[in-house]
Amino acid sequence: MTVKSIFRHETLLALLLVAVLIVLSFQSDRFFTVSNLLNQGRLMTEIGLIAIAMTFVIATGGIDLSVGSILGLTAILTGVFWQNVGMPLAVAACAAIAVGSFAGFCNGLIITRFNVPPLIATLATLALYRGLAEGISQARSVRGYPEWFYVLGQGEVLGVPTQLWILLLAAVLASIILAYTRWGRTVYAIGSNEVASRFSGLSVEHTKLALYTASGFAAALAGVIFVSRVSTTRSDMGTGIELDAITAVVLGGTSIFGGRGTILGTVIGLCLIQALKNGLSLAGVKGDGTIMLIGAVLILAILASNLFERSGTR
Amino acid sequence: MTAPYVSLTGMSKSFVGVKVLKDVSFDVRPGEVHALLGENGAGKSTLIKMMAGLYTPDAGTIVVDGKEMKFASTRDATAAGIATVYQELLLFPEMTVAENVFLGHYPRTALGIIDWPEVRARTRQLLDQLDTFDLDVDTKVLSLSVAQRQRVEIAKALSKNARVLIMDEPTASLVEADVQRLMAVVRQLRERGVAIVYVSHRMSEIFALADRVTVLRDGAHVGTRDIGEVDERELVSMMVGRPIDSLFPKAEAAIGETVLEVKNLNHGRHVRDISFALRKGEILGIAGLVGSGRTELALTLFGMTPATSGEILLDGKPVRIASPRQARDLGIAYVPEDRGLQGLVKSMAIRKNVSMASIEGVSSGIFIKAGAEAQRALDAVKRLGVRCRSIAQPVGELSGGNQQKVVIAKWLQTNPKVLILDEPTRGVDVGAKAEIHTIMGELVKQGVAILMISSELPEVLGMSDRLLVMNGGRVTGVLDRAEATPERVGAAMTRLETGEAA
Repeated sequence: MTVKSIFRHETLLALLLVAVLIVLSFQSDRFFTVSNLLNQGRLMTEIGLIAIAMTFVIATGGIDLSVGSILGLTAILTGVFWQNVGMPLAVAACAAIAVGSFAGFCNGLIITRFNVPPLIATLATLALYRGLAEGISQARSVRGYPEWFYVLGQGEVLGVPTQLWILLLAAVLASIILAYTRWGRTVYAIGSNEVASRFSGLSVEHTKLALYTASGFAAALAGVIFVSRVSTTRSDMGTGIELDAITAVVLGGTSIFGGRGTILGTVIGLCLIQALKNGLSLAGVKGDGTIMLIGAVLILAILASNLFERSGTR
Repeated sequence: MTAPYVSLTGMSKSFVGVKVLKDVSFDVRPGEVHALLGENGAGKSTLIKMMAGLYTPDAGTIVVDGKEMKFASTRDATAAGIATVYQELLLFPEMTVAENVFLGHYPRTALGIIDWPEVRARTRQLLDQLDTFDLDVDTKVLSLSVAQRQRVEIAKALSKNARVLIMDEPTASLVEADVQRLMAVVRQLRERGVAIVYVSHRMSEIFALADRVTVLRDGAHVGTRDIGEVDERELVSMMVGRPIDSLFPKAEAAIGETVLEVKNLNHGRHVRDISFALRKGEILGIAGLVGSGRTELALTLFGMTPATSGEILLDGKPVRIASPRQARDLGIAYVPEDRGLQGLVKSMAIRKNVSMASIEGVSSGIFIKAGAEAQRALDAVKRLGVRCRSIAQPVGELSGGNQQKVVIAKWLQTNPKVLILDEPTRGVDVGAKAEIHTIMGELVKQGVAILMISSELPEVLGMSDRLLVMNGGRVTGVLDRAEATPERVGAAMTRLETGEAA
């Protein structure tokens, strides 16, 4: 792993993004407009927040499949705390986010304390948390939130969707942490060689615990934004969002085996997927065709990056 | 003196523009053992692979039995009577001993069918010639030990009427008793007039077996001598290219007060009731067979497998060590046995590996100060003489010796009071080994206390002030430098659990 090879993957991806944007803007004149692009930014915030936290998790060689369920659980709890328990909405949302973070903490605890592989642990909690969400909601949805709450998911600040500011802030903070701090270094070290990290006195367990908690927090925050954006809560919210997030992360050049990856890559990967989804649907391509194309792009990007890497390091 | 059976003259070979062998000449006579010596990367393997027909030389001639030959493949070399026993044995585990020995040249009956009774009888005969009466020709190879497989390989070479036998580090993975047996086989083959090319790192074997020795360095021929003309020191300096003062330069350091004291330490089956004291400026060697609990003791002291009972006193104060992080903060450093797995993050740059255990020291708040980190890495690389292109180079690209120096550098950043070295020179070439020993000497002079685990008896004997011998998880002997002889240490290593010996 060298600085150059990371640079290469991200440059490649950015070029691909530009190419896709150009092609799509010729397909439909409604695609390359400020309002459409901002709206796409609004739509990708939830996946984006999750993908940013997921980048850290995957860079340690782990994975978090339960994020979609945590999102759903948080959404349901926001509604329940507000309507049924009678908390003020702001408090209810914070409490729900706290529960979501705790759910992430539990993932971390299962993984570090009992040495359960992350894939298995979060696969189990994916079912568990979704089941909880469904049990609590009893298939009822909560609507009729006060007007101020919709600012988060539907409003604008300085002409840009509110949640896009949150995503931007999260991306900048996460980039700095991953690239320039001891924590970021520890993440890469764990992902490259966990045994040697432990033998070097790095706090492997604490770091992992913190990361899965952060992943839960990100999913929970995304849950509240989701509720605000669609004006309602349902227990099936966020189903399958973990796969979208993982796709963005992997497309962004993070190695699924850990040790390599950047936030910039993840963000570009995210934009690429969102642009393809939106642009193709505007161009009249059906949903299943879009999914196939995203799969193909993912495989091609990874192949190309592997090819570059091999010729780069030799 | 007989004429050489094989002689190579002016052999050169390049791989992708890099000259790995430059104008090397080598010959071997019937009935002699010719040892081939050199550090890793000196060109030994390339030379023997040319002799075996695996590589074709860029320049040079091969003369076999007076006739100039060109080997296009291993088949040609085999036909010329040259056979090789490689380090990694190339047998088929699912086939029997007899099937392996005659694979590819089975004797056949008049009808062209493989003559199995003949195969088995001739295999038996070959093994008997090697004094290997205990090996059944119908056993599958997978159930054999490494030493037995090696003898099957030799039998296989002899079945092709080999006149020259090339042995590439044949004792690298053998235990002592098997080494003795192999040496007897080699002597016997020499008696029968086979020419033997013997590649090994182990000086004791070379002096016990070889008639002549050739040293290569950086792909060039340094010299060929009769074994009677050279001593160990001279051979080492030929290999390394500069005189080495002493193989184990034990630096005299002032030994101070007790730093680490361990009382009745226990963990599992491998650390049982261990007590000892380690003083400032002292090197305490730990000797013992593999599985005697040496590494487990180190892991317990380092907090990897925390002690279940017993006391650890550091500077006289009782401490509890529950994690490597705590050990590090208390001033205990551990350079682990398995460099690649435990010691280094190979894909990361030297700079990042050096700072890994002392990352707080090059940070302000949570941010890493890249300048300070680079400066420390540069200093460490210079101080320990790590040979690298730059500190941004991934450690995985370095040689074994330089990798080990990076691990040591990483732990020196933490300014340890107690440095535990587990097999510090395993898989390290002679030059780097001497450098690591010199570093150890400098450290004890600065007052660091060193606990050194090593499987290499001469190293433990040469470097230690005192010696702790372990067996079955217990201490079976504590010997002072003056009284530590190989015999005494060996006896303590195999002594049954006397328990109270310490």
